[in-house]
Amino acid sequence: MTTTSQTPAPGAVPSASRWEPWRVSLSGVRLVAELELRQRVRSTKWKWALASVAVLIGGVTFLVWGATHALGSDSSGAPGDLVFGLVVFFVLFLGLVVSPTLSATSINGDVRDGTMAPLQATALSAADIVLGKLLASWAASLAFLVVALPFIVIAYFDGRMPALAMLTVMAVLALELLVVCAIGLGWSALTARTPASAVLTYTTVAVLVAVLPILFGLLSVTFTEEVEVTYSSREYIYYEGDYFEEPDPDDLPADAQQDAGGSYFVCRDYTYTENRPRTDRLWWLLAVNPYVIVADSAPSPATLDDNYYYGDEGILSGLKQAVREARVGPTASYDECDYELTYEEEQRRARIDALPPVWPWGLAAQALLAAGGVALGVRRLSVPYGKLPTGSRVA
Amino acid sequence: MSDVTTMAAALEAASVRRAFGSVQAVVNASLSVQPGSVTALIGPNGCGKTTLMLMLAGLLRPDGGEVRVGGISPGASPKAARTAVGWMPDVLGTWESLTCRETLATFARAYGLTPADADARAFSLLERVHLADLAEQPARVLSRGQKQRLSLARALVNDPPVLILDEPASGLDPRSRVELRDLVRQLGVEGKAVLVSSHVLAELDEMVDDAVFMSKGVTLGEAADAEVARARTRWRLVAVEGDLAGALARASRDFTVEQVPLGSAAVVSVADDADAAALVAVLVGDGIKVARIAPVGSALEQAYLTMETERR
Ligand SMILES: Nc1ncnc2c1ncn2[C@@H]1O[C@H](COP(=O)(O)OP(=O)(O)O)[C@@H](O)[C@H]1O
Ligand SMILES: [Mg+2]
Repeated sequence: MTTTSQTPAPGAVPSASRWEPWRVSLSGVRLVAELELRQRVRSTKWKWALASVAVLIGGVTFLVWGATHALGSDSSGAPGDLVFGLVVFFVLFLGLVVSPTLSATSINGDVRDGTMAPLQATALSAADIVLGKLLASWAASLAFLVVALPFIVIAYFDGRMPALAMLTVMAVLALELLVVCAIGLGWSALTARTPASAVLTYTTVAVLVAVLPILFGLLSVTFTEEVEVTYSSREYIYYEGDYFEEPDPDDLPADAQQDAGGSYFVCRDYTYTENRPRTDRLWWLLAVNPYVIVADSAPSPATLDDNYYYGDEGILSGLKQAVREARVGPTASYDECDYELTYEEEQRRARIDALPPVWPWGLAAQALLAAGGVALGVRRLSVPYGKLPTGSRVA
Repeated sequence: MSDVTTMAAALEAASVRRAFGSVQAVVNASLSVQPGSVTALIGPNGCGKTTLMLMLAGLLRPDGGEVRVGGISPGASPKAARTAVGWMPDVLGTWESLTCRETLATFARAYGLTPADADARAFSLLERVHLADLAEQPARVLSRGQKQRLSLARALVNDPPVLILDEPASGLDPRSRVELRDLVRQLGVEGKAVLVSSHVLAELDEMVDDAVFMSKGVTLGEAADAEVARARTRWRLVAVEGDLAGALARASRDFTVEQVPLGSAAVVSVADDADAAALVAVLVGDGIKVARIAPVGSALEQAYLTMETERR
């Protein structure tokens, strides 16, 4: 017969026990992740899901490729950048749709099925369980990314994107999926019912993807500021007569110039006051957008045309430029006279180029969301329970 | 009842209470279970048995009072207290697509066993609960009783000194009940402290050393113990012939006559087996043809029912 004569340390610090649920053990996390994956791999039509995703992405890649190459025979001659961007965005779209289904019911679903409490009663800490679940759902969504990889590579070879773009795009896509998984986990910790957490996770993703950009649009219309805008326009000089005739060089204004065709023109500036959106104060609403983060983190093709303010660089760089443009704020001058870049435009472009990238901020904000999700999960699963979530039993 | 002061209790609760919002699930519960003994926790549905067990298993924090598992307080060191207990929930969820062996091995690893040890442990436990044939079946195909046995095996997976079994007999067929009873007894003999709640009181009678009655969140102390002791002295006597009531009166026994279709019957107060034998000798000497004499039935059940009526 065993007699336990153990007594607790007299001054046992309760605060030490407060942190016990947060203690992570590698073997514990691995065990839970393994368990989750094994559950999932066996219980869902896993191969079919992956195969249909492959078919879907393949089909979209093919269609986008065909469409852009049929249409995109314009001056820039680089429809491949567009293909790359569109395929990447489509993969991101699918990832944002699929990932929530993998994690958004992982805590409240197990509580409902009665499999959570026995696990909480073991030596595993709450953090082990939560991180294991996060890891498993992330791994599952990475499987979708792996399926998409060949198509991204095909699209990559079609365009002029730098090789680094491939790597950063894949890495950032993977991180985005991790963030979405963590958000889903957080909601599944907060709500007792699985449909509720699924809906809330999709809502959160929708807020990041669509609601904030819409808010950006609405707010920039609402919050405008009066700016003095200078338009510079080109005015051609014609000789007044019965027939079209070369103007007399002696009659010309002092600042007259000749264009490539030999016609004379002058540049005239007109100044107006206009209400302009203060996008430089609102751009952060776009920074947490997964699409913006992916676009902004991908290096642009090197062939920027110095003579054009907007390069023709495909969808990723286009979005990147647009967001940076928004960060700089309203333009004060438009030059339709001189086709070269004006001093101000050059300045502006230098400012844009000098801007630190947006994506670290966006990713950092999303990392906070993800960390919040994990923290909620750990708090939810810490035993012994103090306050129980309303309407739920321990087991 | 066993002497609390001579040994350190493996499982102890003192004036524990717990509320869920406005529902006071456990009002004031005290109990102690010695190593090597089996204690029953008995009470009607909703009286707080499961809640009390959750607090003892380190899953639920008491609002007040104290819990100790092998001397460890779950509040101060949750993990140490948790791992000292094997807890069998009243309903066990099973992982849909894991086999019985994998389920047990996973739990064994969750307690820190190496994969090889965990597999060995899973196998030996499946043997012990007679599920070895179903080791490679997915847990979802098990019947309710088989699941219950798997759940019991799960509670044993970390070889804990304290076992808390919440309604382990529910859903078991008679044979499995007998096996469960033997298993629980055996666990007691192995030196484990076992607390078992059940509503199948007749089963409990044969497997427990001790009983704690609970009603409306309160554990009933000595009154209940006295009631059980009194119930244990109630024997039923059936005679084929003779004036049973008269004979019992002459033997100056406490008794109540029962109406039976044939012969006569009475419930008599009898101290123990020796006393019963003495009584039979007296009655036979008095010309009564005694057909049967036996304890009235489950002492726990009787005590429980008596208290139920008192409560109303
Ligand atoms: N999580 C919970 N939230 C609210 N009420 C609860 C919860 N758990 C138990 N209760 C209530 O506490 C009381 C005791 O429940 P329980 O301990 O499960 O009883 P028993 O196991 O003895 O049948 C019941 O009235 C029950 O409704
Ligand atoms: Mg119960």
